[in-house]
Amino acid sequence: MGARFRVVAVLPWLVGLVAGALALGPALGPGYVLRYDMLFVPDLSLSTVLAGADGFPRAIPSDAVVALLSLVLPGDAVQTLALLAVFTLGGAGAFRLLAGLVSGDGRMPGAVLAAGAAAGVAYVWNPFVAERLLLGQWAALLGYAGLPWVLRAVVRTASARPGAGLAGLVRSLVPAAVGGFSSVVLSALTAGPQVLAGPRRGRNAGLFALGLVLVSLPWLLPSLTSGAATDPAGAEAFAARADTPFGTVASLLALGGVWNSGAVPPGYGEPVTALARLLLSAVSLTGWAWWLYRSRPVVGVGLSVSAAVGFGIAVLGVSAPGREFLAALIGLWPGFGPLRDGQLYLAPLALVQALGLGAVALWLLRALPGRGGGDSALPVRLEVQEARGERGDRGESGAWSLPLWRVVAVVFTMLLPVVVLPGLLWGAGGRLTPVEYPGAWLAAQEAVAADERPGAVLVLPWSAYRGLEWSGEPVVVLDPATKLFDRRTLWNDDLSIGTPDGGRVVVSGEDTRAREAARLLEPDPVTGLPSAERVSDQDALAELLGGLGVRYVVVSAPVDNRFWSGSEALSPVVEGADMTLLEVREQHISVDKDDISGLEVTSGLVTVGAIIWSMARSGSSLGFQRPQPLKERGARKEIPK
Amino acid sequence: MIKVIAACVIGAALAGGATVVATNLATESTATAEPVNETLYNYGDR
Repeated sequence: MGARFRVVAVLPWLVGLVAGALALGPALGPGYVLRYDMLFVPDLSLSTVLAGADGFPRAIPSDAVVALLSLVLPGDAVQTLALLAVFTLGGAGAFRLLAGLVSGDGRMPGAVLAAGAAAGVAYVWNPFVAERLLLGQWAALLGYAGLPWVLRAVVRTASARPGAGLAGLVRSLVPAAVGGFSSVVLSALTAGPQVLAGPRRGRNAGLFALGLVLVSLPWLLPSLTSGAATDPAGAEAFAARADTPFGTVASLLALGGVWNSGAVPPGYGEPVTALARLLLSAVSLTGWAWWLYRSRPVVGVGLSVSAAVGFGIAVLGVSAPGREFLAALIGLWPGFGPLRDGQLYLAPLALVQALGLGAVALWLLRALPGRGGGDSALPVRLEVQEARGERGDRGESGAWSLPLWRVVAVVFTMLLPVVVLPGLLWGAGGRLTPVEYPGAWLAAQEAVAADERPGAVLVLPWSAYRGLEWSGEPVVVLDPATKLFDRRTLWNDDLSIGTPDGGRVVVSGEDTRAREAARLLEPDPVTGLPSAERVSDQDALAELLGGLGVRYVVVSAPVDNRFWSGSEALSPVVEGADMTLLEVREQHISVDKDDISGLEVTSGLVTVGAIIWSMARSGSSLGFQRPQPLKERGARKEIPK
Repeated sequence: MIKVIAACVIGAALAGGATVVATNLATESTATAEPVNETLYNYGDR
């Protein structure tokens, strides 16, 4: 293996890895990064994940994979791996997709490597990634990271035998399989139009659909039988919003616009940085259009359609009629529920912009093949022109020589995504700081785990999110108590969203057993604790809890109302500064053991089997294949099998 | 080759300088407000 091959093989991964290290910074240290939906706990229990809750299985299979990895690695190490994988896979994927489109899997000249690096950086360093990361949606980002690989596999499938094509598709969909529902939807959106635009569309569409179903089984079958409903109020609550001074549509064009103002990277909304980011998006889109015009890359039409459709879905929530239309769709069929968070569907546009920035780098290096292909295409070598002239020229060796300023400009272009979005640097300015779980929380986890008697854990106050200050800085995060214990947990899965006018929109949860608990406990809307009437009679309260199958109550926030004081029916097991674990007296408890659904286990095994089969068939598609010499150059660049 | 490396260093230095400028701009003008200090916390605020 030559030195050049090693560089070419490693460089795509290195680009993503370095970008990830710069973005995550302190988050890579020991401890758990907790923020909004990003909740990792020590020793996550697989049985808890599989027993789950009623409603749509959103934590499947991502939490199941985390639980399995937690059997051999500490939970914080698993989180570090997951977050780094987002950047490494995504950066390498965009890099290799661009390189493949320009030069196939053939020899990669320096210009293609530079353009690939620009695409890789742009794909993992943009407002979409920053905002979803700050929202804690690591599983969706894992699916996002896999999109270039899926697109590449779809192109390869067109020229492969059905078995090999399906294996390649399933391998490329592994990140989406782990990411779960939203990741699979993004994969379908990004690669679906390419399947339909490419050759042998009937056969390939069938293979692609089969691949999607195979990796979706762990959440697809349980969701079909769960009878989960989606609250149409989510269309209003999760619609895209302006996070720049230029309005919602421009914010979306710049790949921002997430619904949550707390998920915007620091400094991003300021006019100067927002304008710079918007200009970069415009330049990238111009680069993409220029590339399409010049040499019609094989994914040009399909990916453009994907980006346009995704952008259209995101824009749908901008106007009142659009939101009403979405709400009506969701009311009609809960399957339309995922459309409520429209900004998520900017993912293919992010890929277009990344490839577009790569095309700009190619333009700067005068390395993009012309409309007719031929000699203006590849190979291009970076050789600095001795002359001071503006335009490059062919030297005596026949290699393409360039003025120095173009090389400077390309390196600058490669790093432009970082320049215009510095708020993502070093854990988004310290917002992704790891913390250790306080001793009381771990003691509570241990106490519950040591108790083999069945019974659920009820989480109070009756609200899903907490403002933890373990790092010294307050952070809003899904209550860690919802995942900390190795048994069924009852918690309020309603989502409360603050509105700009100081109001609040509540999107109803899906867990029917939690709804029943809320009905019986009548929690106070201000404190989230059981109503005064309920706590006035402790025996009756304990009986009510026992009737719900609750063995433990965890009060996972500092509260003034210590309603259990003096009670014999509710006895403290662990008491900490911001957490108290109470045990319900045995005589009150009536509980059925939570069973793990055989359907979930079977569907999970089928998916795992399909992935193993795809890996065994011809190795991982996520690896690098040895570059082969270019046999033919043409206007239309295909990615060979 | 040396000239290419020098050009790369210049490009990276320019980008680094621009990043520092952009960071300062963003830091000076940003008023961070985490949606906390409530009794019950929202999933987020629009």
